[in-house]
Amino acid sequence: MRIVVCLTQILDPEMPPSEFRLDPQRKAAAEGIGQLVVSIFDENALEVALQVREHILERKGAPSDPVEIVALTVGPPSAADVLRKALSLRADRAILISSEGWPPLEGAIVARLLAAAVRRLHPVDLVLCGRETGDWHGGQVGSFLAEELGWASVSFVSRIEVEGETFLMRRQSDEGWEIVRARRPAVATITNDETNVPRLPKVRDTMLAARASLPVWTIPELVEDPHTLWETSARVAVRELFIPSSSKVCELIEGETVQEKAVRLLEALRRRRML
Amino acid sequence: MRTVMVLLPTSRIERTEREAIGAARALSREWSANVQVALIAPTAEGIEGLRGRTEASSDVSLWIAAHPQLEAYSPELYVSASEQLITRARPEVIVFPSRTIALEIAPRLAYRIGAALATDVIELRAEGEAVVITKPVYGGKAHAVLVAQRFPLVLCVRPRAFDPFEGELRAGTPHDLQIACDPSSVRTQLVQRIQEDAAAGVSLEEARVIVSGGRGLGGPEGFRLLEELARWLGGAVGASRAACDAGWVPASWQIGQTGKKVAPDLYIAVGISGASQHIVGISGAKCIVAINTDPKAPIFKVADLGIVGDYRAVIPALIAELKRTHAGSSGDRPGSSPEEGR
Ligand SMILES: Cc1cc2nc3c(=O)[nH]c(=O)nc-3n(C[C@H](O)[C@H](O)[C@H](O)COP(=O)(O)OP(=O)(O)OC[C@H]3O[C@@H](n4cnc5c(N)ncnc54)[C@H](O)[C@@H]3O)c2cc1C
Ligand SMILES: Nc1ncnc2c1ncn2[C@@H]1O[C@H](COP(=O)(O)O)[C@@H](O)[C@H]1O
Repeated sequence: MRIVVCLTQILDPEMPPSEFRLDPQRKAAAEGIGQLVVSIFDENALEVALQVREHILERKGAPSDPVEIVALTVGPPSAADVLRKALSLRADRAILISSEGWPPLEGAIVARLLAAAVRRLHPVDLVLCGRETGDWHGGQVGSFLAEELGWASVSFVSRIEVEGETFLMRRQSDEGWEIVRARRPAVATITNDETNVPRLPKVRDTMLAARASLPVWTIPELVEDPHTLWETSARVAVRELFIPSSSKVCELIEGETVQEKAVRLLEALRRRRML
Repeated sequence: MRTVMVLLPTSRIERTEREAIGAARALSREWSANVQVALIAPTAEGIEGLRGRTEASSDVSLWIAAHPQLEAYSPELYVSASEQLITRARPEVIVFPSRTIALEIAPRLAYRIGAALATDVIELRAEGEAVVITKPVYGGKAHAVLVAQRFPLVLCVRPRAFDPFEGELRAGTPHDLQIACDPSSVRTQLVQRIQEDAAAGVSLEEARVIVSGGRGLGGPEGFRLLEELARWLGGAVGASRAACDAGWVPASWQIGQTGKKVAPDLYIAVGISGASQHIVGISGAKCIVAINTDPKAPIFKVADLGIVGDYRAVIPALIAELKRTHAGSSGDRPGSSPEEGR
């Protein structure tokens, strides 16, 4: 069984807001203001893939159908770092789809490229994406990819079990969870829960991953007429980015004792008609 | 005339759905478009309550696309039903509420019909022929202004960002839309539903008061204290992603960018640092109270009131004080005492 995990490189979403700056020209966050990391839900997705592999190994001992995990990213050469991270967590292979020299990417184009890569990796049984990236929060590439491939697709999944020719997926709903059976091959977009918190790599594996050579696939290798990708893709144009202003002043409740603070907080809330 | 269609894959119209209608209606007024609300549901019955409110003078018309095959939610059938509705009505703009079902089908529909898509929309306006959209990016640290000039355009509007439509809906003509369902297209099947209960029995989306806990609580026991406080305040309990990922509380309690968006009058954040991805979920709160040991925690930048201190001392003191004043009053707070709240 082959599982593809799609990873994106983003600006560290946990960087302090006080250090956040924009680049008005690029209409994006300024370069160099923070670390580049693997988008958080993609880490969850990789964790789900690793767990699927482990479960199959546990169940069958030495399986006749070994699980292979392939990490994919579309991006500039720097995006190779997210692939090394995946290798350090023991993904079996990692491939960079290089977008260097091409216009900025957008969801529909990424989906077309990933779909082409998945076809090239045939046979693939399962593709995992994050539910949304931590920078632009598109929440679309996984679904686009499923449409492009014509595969079964389930969004907001936190765990996956293999059952015969199907996958049992735990899908988040507004009220809780659902168990959904999906036919193979399938795409799932991954959300977080307590079972898929990303594990940490071992030092030795990180060192090995740092030295691994990464295959690079180019866009013309994957699609016949790459320029039409940008011409035909439906999209909204970005006019500008701005940092929303906030002008709140917090009233800190003081007091000698914690009881006094509690009394004063409740008083302040009553004054504001909150109680 | 241009059309803005609100697609509701549900037979329950709640505030989130009415906000989507409100967003569409505000846009349509500026853009001289008409608004159609289309429900995708197993049957037109049970939605009668809504139809009972219909009124000829309303500027918002309601269509119901019902098919018995739509009883159990299936993404394939719901995407196909949406596509059939779009083919018939040819709307320029399609608005979805940000429910998990809608967020699953909106991108698939957009891809299928070759439409542009914007999710997490918090502002919408017309500018000549174009539609201008605002959406938070970088976890809310920035806002992006997007311009759509090609249609159709699919939008998912963020909960608690638009005023809900409170008016009447007019029955559309034809009233019920016939759609075809092809069961052989179905590749996914619902096996089981697992309902997670809201803390103190109060739903986060409807709550007037929310007490929310984060990693700073250090374990699930901390949440028992928050639940007790919430019961005294007649509120619900929420959590940060870190607390949910730790397994201390159910994932459906998560508030923020990828959790629930809430708009209580009072939001009490306990042991939550105030990451932007959490704050975007509470931008609708009228009053935010922060309780945190770290005076430099970013939560104090967005809070109205704050106590710097250990929640293990502060929360019991608050509960004790509420008990004391409650005992002294005539006891006119039904459901707010711990016994009645259970
Ligand atoms: C794409 C994306 C989506 C996300 N979506 C969400 C989301 O929907 N919701 C969400 O919450 N997060 C979300 N996050 C994660 C977010 O960035 C933060 O990691 C998370 O909110 C941190 O949770 P926390 O505040 O509980 O933990 P921490 O940041 O670790 O903060 C804990 C706080 O507790 C305080 N504390 C410690 N001990 C005590 C004590 N005894 N008494 C009082 N205070 C104490 C500390 O001073 C600290 O400020 C998302 C991230 C990304 C990238
Ligand atoms: N450039 C990319 N390379 C690989 N995967 C991507 C890329 N962009 C998005 N994805 C995948 O699609 C998911 C959702 O992205 P988005 O729709 O942009 O929010 C991400 O979490 C990734 O799994």
